[in-house]
Amino acid sequence: MLGRRAYTAATMTKSRTPSTKSPTAPARPSVVRADKLQAGYGDKAVCGVVSFTVRAGDALALVGPNGAGKSTVAKTVVGQLEPVHGSTEVNGAPVDDRDIEFRRDVAVVFDDDAFFPALTVAEHLAIVAAGHGSGEVEEVIDRELAFFGLGALRDARPYSLSSGQRRRLLLAAAFVRPRTLLVLDEPEQRLDTAMRTALAERLRAEVDAGLALLVVTHDPAFLQTVATRALFIADEVRTMTPAQAAVAISTENPHAN
Amino acid sequence: MSARTQERFSAREIRQYTFRAGLSRSEGGLMELISEGYTYVLGAVVLLVMSGAVVVGLRNSLGIGNGSGFVSSVLSPDFHAVSLLQASATVLLTLAGALLSVEMSVGPITMSVPQTAWWLGLPVRRRGFIQPGFLLSMVWPTAAAIAVVVPLTLGLPGAPQPGRIALAVLCGIGVGLLLYGVAAWAQITNSLRFLKGVAGVLTLVAPLTLVVTALYDNAGAGHSLSMDWLAYLPTGWPLLVAQGSLWPLVVLPAALALLLRAYASLERITTGRLRAAAAAGAYVQGSLLSMDASELSRSLGGGNLVGRSRVRLPVVFRRGTATARSIKTLISTHATMLLRQPAQLARVLVLAAIPASVASVAHLGNAILIAFVLYLCGHLAATTLGGTARFAAGNPAVDRLMPLPERTVRRTHWVLPAGGMTLWALVCFLLLHALGAASWPLVILAVCAGPGLGGATIRAAFRPSPDWTMPAVASPLGPVPTGAVRSFLVGPDLSLITLLPVLICLVAGGVPLIAFPIQLLLSTLAYAWGTRVRRRKKQGEGFLASLAQQQPPAKR
Repeated sequence: MLGRRAYTAATMTKSRTPSTKSPTAPARPSVVRADKLQAGYGDKAVCGVVSFTVRAGDALALVGPNGAGKSTVAKTVVGQLEPVHGSTEVNGAPVDDRDIEFRRDVAVVFDDDAFFPALTVAEHLAIVAAGHGSGEVEEVIDRELAFFGLGALRDARPYSLSSGQRRRLLLAAAFVRPRTLLVLDEPEQRLDTAMRTALAERLRAEVDAGLALLVVTHDPAFLQTVATRALFIADEVRTMTPAQAAVAISTENPHAN
Repeated sequence: MSARTQERFSAREIRQYTFRAGLSRSEGGLMELISEGYTYVLGAVVLLVMSGAVVVGLRNSLGIGNGSGFVSSVLSPDFHAVSLLQASATVLLTLAGALLSVEMSVGPITMSVPQTAWWLGLPVRRRGFIQPGFLLSMVWPTAAAIAVVVPLTLGLPGAPQPGRIALAVLCGIGVGLLLYGVAAWAQITNSLRFLKGVAGVLTLVAPLTLVVTALYDNAGAGHSLSMDWLAYLPTGWPLLVAQGSLWPLVVLPAALALLLRAYASLERITTGRLRAAAAAGAYVQGSLLSMDASELSRSLGGGNLVGRSRVRLPVVFRRGTATARSIKTLISTHATMLLRQPAQLARVLVLAAIPASVASVAHLGNAILIAFVLYLCGHLAATTLGGTARFAAGNPAVDRLMPLPERTVRRTHWVLPAGGMTLWALVCFLLLHALGAASWPLVILAVCAGPGLGGATIRAAFRPSPDWTMPAVASPLGPVPTGAVRSFLVGPDLSLITLLPVLICLVAGGVPLIAFPIQLLLSTLAYAWGTRVRRRKKQGEGFLASLAQQQPPAKR
């Protein structure tokens, strides 16, 4: 796993755009649709109005400077925050995380560093896998532990892990269960370079296989490997190609003034 | 949990699995938890026995009499005490405010933070996760109603019959469950948020009415201020039932109807609100574990109010040595942080008035009771003033910004709590003096204890945390980390030791001269103990390491 291609600028040349899809391919179903969505807290918006559609096989990246409201938008899209204005639909239904179907379809990884202190790494994953009826629970867990480099820490307790290992555990939890939409908030954070590469390539493969992905990221290489489109979140939201977004997050510095 | 299954597990099975898996690797039981704190408990018992002996000896030597200090009143015989009905109604109003405030923050519908993170995303009916906590937490208002209403009704004039007391308790349970239902409905529908603020203000202001009434009645104006009407507020209805009324029992069907409505709507609550309640619950749990009044009230009040204060103190100083300038900057910063939270200062003042409030109630002017309340309020006030030190303990990098040794920084943290507690002691004992419950020498003795309480504040703030990397201890509520009990007791111990001469003199009814040097010595020791910096052991240090070094090399 660690012997994969070096995570260098060469990775960035693998960027994909929607134009790589065949023009004759049947229309892919819409998984997420945000309509004039304004995210914020209470009645105070934190960024401009966002409208987008993510179809099966699409990976939309939310990029922008710190504090622009990327994570707030992502949390609003999955119903963890009330929108200031606008609405979001997932699989044609208004977002409501009280709905069992919604939870069955949507896997979410935010930076929630919360664990049961007395449960092991494998037991945390078992809760998610068995809760979703993931089939051969032990096999699924073993596979994900191996992918995320946690095999030797199967029986360790979360608070004895490093912050990067705990991050891997959170990510592994999203992969031990079925999903049609995956929402990740800065998945590259606290991961080493090899793990970032492996994760980016795996996500790209899953998107190619039909997964809808909404990802918040600051990493230009990760963005170009994974995303099919990008939204630059700021007071005015702009739609970009992954290559444009990679340049924008590397060069646009709103904190310079 | 079976590894070979295609079946999706129910919420109940997941809940049971999580609980059992945690308990399966915990070690020991409740006795381990008790044994953790046994040295403290044993020490406290020895201290109490010795204090009792000192009290008896003092009463004899001061010629106060051979009567037991345990039943003696500290108030003068012509003192106009507040009626028990008003006092009971005030207690019920305060506790109802506190209960509503807790429930509107933590929520009757409670989950832990890990539960919200790992359970709420599962595609199973959430009722299985939510319902047990909702039903179980009904025990608290019920138990609180029984624990509070029984003693209060027993003390009412006319000695109510057991049947009346039972009805009063039933009414109290009704009031408790009604508040619980209101909080549940507010949590489910995200409405009625203003009630939280009202409850918080009630909790702070209601106890003050007792001391205000007592001071007014004893001012010699010839008028008396009756506030018995407090019993007609819904929180006081159990008292009316105990006195013969039956109409307040209407609260029972009202509570039941509201609870049924909330129960039926349990699954309407959103993930966001469950997460918010879980985060507040974790905060409250942490502040309870640290016995920290300020953190507790902040956690129940919805967190810090930031960015609203205009208090600005100078932080750059040009005179003096580099060390002196750094110390001034630190103290100025601590003062700024404190002054930006006026609610904390108000809380300290309220805590100073509570011993006098208790003393002003008819039949409650008992020296032992006042001493106990005084200790509790003293420690809570001390921890309230220790917010900055606790912040520094949790964020050590902030203190390291200054080019000062760790010990100097720790002593700098002591300055404001010490000053604040000296003022607290002055206000508290001046109020007791105004009620005739404390002499001038006792006021001076209490002021001498102030700096020592500052030391206890710092000891509590820099206490060691429970250790989750060690095997946990099994308890009915799940695994408890090693060191939890010991961690809880660090801080209150030093507050007790520091206040001991004052409490003994209060109970004994006189202040001998020897009490002053003893109090000053204890305050100095508390300062030294509280501001002590534990030296971190390096690798190869310690008893076991030295034994290992003495072992001869193994023969091959």
